[in-house]
Amino acid sequence: MNGWILAATVELGGGGAAALWGVTTGPTARRVVAQNLTTAALCPALLLLAQGYGRPAYVDLALLLALLGPVGTLVFARLLHEDLEGRRPSAWGLTYAVAGVGAAVVIALCAVTGPGRAMVKLLVIGALLIGGNLIASRALSGGFRGVLGG
Amino acid sequence: MSRRLRLWLLAVGGAGLAAVLAAACLELPGFGGRSHPYGTRAVRASLARHTANTIASVNFDQRAYDTLGEMSILFAAVLGCVVLLRQARDEHRERPRPAQVARPVRRYALLVVPAALVCGLYIVAHGQLSPGGGFQGGVVAATALHLLYLGADYRALERVRPLGAFEATDALSVCAYLVLGLAGVLAGTAFLANTLLPYGTFNTLSSGGFVPLLNAAVGMEVASAVVVLLANFLDQAVEIVEEEAG
Amino acid sequence: MSDALILVALLLVAATATAAVAQRDPARQALVLSVLGVFLAVLFTVLQAPDVGLSQLAVGAALTPLLIMLSVRKIRRRRRDRDGAR
Repeated sequence: MNGWILAATVELGGGGAAALWGVTTGPTARRVVAQNLTTAALCPALLLLAQGYGRPAYVDLALLLALLGPVGTLVFARLLHEDLEGRRPSAWGLTYAVAGVGAAVVIALCAVTGPGRAMVKLLVIGALLIGGNLIASRALSGGFRGVLGG
Repeated sequence: MSRRLRLWLLAVGGAGLAAVLAAACLELPGFGGRSHPYGTRAVRASLARHTANTIASVNFDQRAYDTLGEMSILFAAVLGCVVLLRQARDEHRERPRPAQVARPVRRYALLVVPAALVCGLYIVAHGQLSPGGGFQGGVVAATALHLLYLGADYRALERVRPLGAFEATDALSVCAYLVLGLAGVLAGTAFLANTLLPYGTFNTLSSGGFVPLLNAAVGMEVASAVVVLLANFLDQAVEIVEEEAG
Repeated sequence: MSDALILVALLLVAATATAAVAQRDPARQALVLSVLGVFLAVLFTVLQAPDVGLSQLAVGAALTPLLIMLSVRKIRRRRRDRDGAR
């Protein structure tokens, strides 16, 4: 047990409970936003776990989540866009807050790792995670308005 | 059989199952304990074959025959879907309408497609070294392709997806797995025995004998199977419409 | 203390799986299911099974939602066509 795992536990407990609450209650528009923020909240937890267990190979899980999580949100944004029409679901304050947490975790891990290939991988994960989340939020708040039936 | 008898039968069967499960649970080793008889042997065997990721060694070397079974299950499942979802006689295709997607989303999709393809290849190629392997990498690569549908429209995806080629690759990679297995028989050892290729240097890309080759075959099979599966779902959801009866 | 982590992950998975069953609308079920996939991947990582976690992430993050949502779309479109024909 160390500080990294403690941080991951806090992140998992707080972010996970909030995501679960958001995705199971309220209108569809809010649930989609919660689904999107789940990726952003749990990817840093996976990175912290990799560091806490001292297993650099576990970073691949975070890489995959950062890559595919926003794709999953795009699926919902595209195929539910008729339900979301006129709602423009967004929670930009929360989105930026979660992205900030992700950036802080990536920077902290980079500082521990030191320059090298591992650091490049961490930076790629950070860029994919934050970029993907902002784009997915953008897609939810009206990115697919021009899609008809297709 | 009367209702009462059936309930009795269910009760007896359920009680038997509960007793067996309880007995099995009592014999389980303690959670997180130090003694793992099977784990110790599996790790020893995987180190002897210079495979850093013991899971890959179990999947593609010690129990490669099981993986062949799993591979054929996926193949058969996709084949079943293709048969069920084919265009029936009372259905016809409509050209999907082109879609206008917000520019940042489209750019993101175009940027991430190559990144995700490379990531999928990386996961397949490092299967014998770190967590991952053919299945995971294949799914990632196949999902990446469908960002073209999400970020643009279905016609953009259809243009880069020759379905016939993917169907052929699916079948060919299952054959490749079988041929790799039969090579062992021809060389005088056993089916799927990892004895033909040199084991290489521990913890390098070319280590582990034929584990990387089997990983590549599974990766190709899974990637093309997922593409074919999603193609049939997309055809049904986007293109194929039922004709009005009269 | 790492038991606490396992406990948190297990509780999240159990609660999310129950919630997924309790939903009525398939689209909302798919949303809960994709969140459940991520929690499961974390649970597998915590239990030191990253290979399984990777499989879960690869399938659960984008592929399963896509398959479910395409089926939902097909059914909705069919219903709309029938209603329009009447």
